[in-house]
Amino acid sequence: MPDLATLLEILIIVVKVSVISGILFSLPLPLTWIERKVAGHIQVRLGPWRVGPHGVLQPFADMVKLLIKEDIVPERADKFLFKLAPLLSMIPAFLVFVAIPFGEKFAIPFVGKEITLYLSDMNVGILYILAIGGLGIYGMILGGWASNSKYSLLGGLRSSAQMISYEVSMSFAAIGVVMLTNSLNLLEMVRSQSGSFLDWNIFYLPVGPVWFVIFIIAALAEINRIPFDLPEDEGTLAAGFHTEYSGMRFSFFMLAEYVAMVTVSVLTVIMFFGGWNPPLDISIFHLVPPIFWFLGKVILFIYFFMWLRFTLPRYRYDQLMTIGWKVLIPLSLVNILVTGLMII
Amino acid sequence: MSKGPSRIAEFIKKALFLDFVKGLSITLKYNVSRSITLKYPDEEKWVPDRRFRGQHTLNKDENGRELCVACELCVKVCPTKCITVIPMEDDTGRGIADRVAKVWKVELARCMFCGYCEDACPTRAVRLGRDYELACLDLSCTTREKDELLKPQSIPDTIQGGFVVRSSFERTPEGIRVVPDLRMQKKRNI
Amino acid sequence: MEKLFFLMFAAVAIASGLAVVTARNPVHSALALIVCLIQVAALFVLLRSPFLAAVQIFIYVGAVMVLFLFVVLILDMRKAVLQAFPPVKKRFVVGVILVLMAQILAFVFVTPMGLSPAGGWEPTVESIGRMLFTKYLFPFEVVSVILLAALVAAIVIAKERR
Ligand code: SF4
Ligand code: SF4
Repeated sequence: MPDLATLLEILIIVVKVSVISGILFSLPLPLTWIERKVAGHIQVRLGPWRVGPHGVLQPFADMVKLLIKEDIVPERADKFLFKLAPLLSMIPAFLVFVAIPFGEKFAIPFVGKEITLYLSDMNVGILYILAIGGLGIYGMILGGWASNSKYSLLGGLRSSAQMISYEVSMSFAAIGVVMLTNSLNLLEMVRSQSGSFLDWNIFYLPVGPVWFVIFIIAALAEINRIPFDLPEDEGTLAAGFHTEYSGMRFSFFMLAEYVAMVTVSVLTVIMFFGGWNPPLDISIFHLVPPIFWFLGKVILFIYFFMWLRFTLPRYRYDQLMTIGWKVLIPLSLVNILVTGLMII
Repeated sequence: MSKGPSRIAEFIKKALFLDFVKGLSITLKYNVSRSITLKYPDEEKWVPDRRFRGQHTLNKDENGRELCVACELCVKVCPTKCITVIPMEDDTGRGIADRVAKVWKVELARCMFCGYCEDACPTRAVRLGRDYELACLDLSCTTREKDELLKPQSIPDTIQGGFVVRSSFERTPEGIRVVPDLRMQKKRNI
Repeated sequence: MEKLFFLMFAAVAIASGLAVVTARNPVHSALALIVCLIQVAALFVLLRSPFLAAVQIFIYVGAVMVLFLFVVLILDMRKAVLQAFPPVKKRFVVGVILVLMAQILAFVFVTPMGLSPAGGWEPTVESIGRMLFTKYLFPFEVVSVILLAALVAAIVIAKERR
């Protein structure tokens, strides 16, 4: 029989897991709303307006619609894989958050017990995130193949090729950050960037900004956002790999996509923008709980991705490959060399 | 092929993402600028200029007599043949002459708001007004009879138009209406 | 507790390994192989080597299998399903399998077991790196040269096609 302390530990973990997955499951609600609002205002429109004040209830209406929509499985599809694929893309997106820290410790008032703001402090955190995050691609490939439709298959093929090309430069960027911070552990990464904003990795001149650019571009390609959303390019592929999906299963893909966007924003903040460290090392800034700094930065990045989406056109497929293989990879190789020299 | 220095400039431009920054700054400017969408029908409504061609209206003179003399010129000129006028004799002073329209109806579903009827009318009886919310639930309501057309329009002729006003959206058993509040004018540059 | 997990992962790994060879559809085979590789990664975690587990998933599951699937997807599926597998004589296959089995068994019995001290020595990234660049420097360099040769060869072959 385990003693009380162990039980409490287990209870805390269970609570943390449920809180995080609850938040992740409900994330698309605010994010779709924000995304449509940003789209609207960038195009000098209003965005959602009619359902609730400023259209805030629009995502709920959409959710209800997706839930009660007919779930169509194409007749000639590979039924098993077709049903499995949305889960395959959703689960890795959630699993990534096992290793993501949201802060150091947090003391519950009145009880005097400290809980950590992360699930697991892995010493291979960044590797784990890249590895598990990369698994989401199977949902797209298999979903595209199982639908037995030409658009889906092409979307799946595109996403696999795109993924292989950009995973390399994304890992290189991660290696660069690991070299700068001397650790694979995300907590260590943040700790090594404490101090003012000049200590953040992005300001580690001259290599920091280059790593940041490489990482952001590769990450954009990895999570299939514009300008690299070729697997679901409406212009040429209907809806790409999820053409045949409807209702709930489609919303799983959407969920995975939004969670991936949040993951990338979080990773960018942790790797380059000092995590939960305030921008200046002065006492006023330390009054604000670190989690707010963290969330603020993450939200800024989420906005940045949406902003990019409604600014840039989509790349052609050959351009995508050129950027990946002929620009990013040589650049990251050179940059690894420079980083190594700087560290010595 | 471009020359050396300009190629270097090009490279620097690409490396610093200058084009991206330019594009992003433009979209950011639009993002924080005011949106041009009218909050119609909830809060705002566009009051058209006088020259607007909306639903027909039949005018009366200052003594309240009908201006229409049932000459049927508007019927003749109408390209879509959507006006029906049946004249009758009436010397009670209802109209400005002894001949008035017994029936004057227009089928709005066929009308294309060309305004020819307005031009053809010798007494300036028929005018295309400023009511443009003509949607309804079945075809019967697309025909407008004389009594309805003789009523004054919702926007009086004294108002210049060409601006946005506050309005309220009303759901009644008869249908939905957008009631403008003509005192609250807002200039909108559209 | 740990034994239970080991048995679970091992059983799934073997079952999915069998599924790889028995599945008719190449895509299903590939999927089974992915499951198998993930189980092996889990076994690495049980061996207190999270780095190896992450690398296993990263490279095998994340990259190699994606390429596999990429090729498999382009195959004409109906033909591939009908094709007899394997496309060579049965006797030959059995021979190869027996040789491989003998190799593995020899490896298992020859290497001394239980090398790692019982007191939780964790192979961290640092220690792995140190080992690679000191004790195993020569094999490491040989492997890199072989990989480089393969890279160059791949480029040469791709160029010739054009
Ligand atoms: S506006 Fe044109 S189409 Fe309409 S009734 Fe007048 S003449 Fe006919
Ligand atoms: S509306 Fe004008 S044109 Fe038409 S019948 Fe009357 S007077 Fe004649």
